[in-house]
Amino acid sequence: MKAVARSLVAALLLAAPFAAVSAQSISLGGDNAHSAAKLQHVLLLSDAVETKVGGSQAIELRFRVEDGFHINSHHPKDELLIPTALKLESAGAVQVLSVDYPAGKPFKLPSSNDPLDVYQNEFRVMLRVAAKSPGTTELNGSLHYQACDNAACFPPRTLPVKVLLTAK
Amino acid sequence: MLRRVLVAGGIALVLAVLVTAGIHNLRDRRAAMQQAAAQHVDLTPVASGDAADAIPPELGRDLRGKAAPDFTLTTLDGRHIQLADLKGKTVIVNFWATYCGPCRVEMPWFEEFGKKYANDKLVVLGLNYEDGVTRDDVAKAVKKTGVTYPILMADDKTAKAFGLGDYLPVTYYVDAKGEVVDQSPGAPTKDQMEATIKKAIARSQS
Repeated sequence: MKAVARSLVAALLLAAPFAAVSAQSISLGGDNAHSAAKLQHVLLLSDAVETKVGGSQAIELRFRVEDGFHINSHHPKDELLIPTALKLESAGAVQVLSVDYPAGKPFKLPSSNDPLDVYQNEFRVMLRVAAKSPGTTELNGSLHYQACDNAACFPPRTLPVKVLLTAK
Repeated sequence: MLRRVLVAGGIALVLAVLVTAGIHNLRDRRAAMQQAAAQHVDLTPVASGDAADAIPPELGRDLRGKAAPDFTLTTLDGRHIQLADLKGKTVIVNFWATYCGPCRVEMPWFEEFGKKYANDKLVVLGLNYEDGVTRDDVAKAVKKTGVTYPILMADDKTAKAFGLGDYLPVTYYVDAKGEVVDQSPGAPTKDQMEATIKKAIARSQS
């Protein structure tokens, strides 16, 4: 009788992985990050960075603006335009000390003589952080920006930013 | 004997589970393929004709040839303006936002053409549509553009009635009967804008 029970258990164990496969959802395409960039027009490229323990250390976060679009720099020339701004919260043993933005590049809309100050393609935001101890810490925050193309604009958006910072 | 029956039963159970898993997997794959096929969009250039002017759905509802949705909104100085009251005139309904550079590029053109075609009963209405701005913010932006035509504070109800996409500026050219002659998602060139205005005026006068 014990042998019979063993056979049944073995049969069920054999079948379990196949049953699990059938229960998994199937996802075609799978390029969710790309879809998110299309929707948001901006994508975070650096989701994991390394730094040294102790003192003030510089880290760099890279973002990409969808082709054909621009977002205002942190210091747009027009007060009515919405500046790009990154907020990243200190967490655990990691303190975010400062955020430094790159200079924008001049960009003229068709039929306009006043150049805008924008980020296009890839831009990099420099942060200074201080990690008290070794280990990996998840830093959370957001990038606030407003995207336009040559002829029209999308409403301001907030991109969630999650970065795994490893201090060694 | 009993042992053999039970072993055979176990094997049958395994086979049954495998077959069930296979059927579920096939069914899910077919459903996923159908969904993917339904979502597939071919982006091909349109050659000519009416289809060349097609407005992609994500840029808002195509209202051309339809009655412009009526609205009553308040101007920056507190006056109420109802679109229906402007029947008999050609009306430009321009949705814009203070943060929108292309909007503020085209607004002085509306001002210029509003004056140029005033004798043809052309009326320009600017409908500010954005979250988190005050009338003072809007007034400041309007002052920068130098326009003097009425600026109305649009609401979600009006935006929904026009079927706005997630995109500004959007302009509707409405004839004297209240029908949308043309609409422009995004800022056109100045020449394109004037050509559309002339078309709308001609429709009003026909």
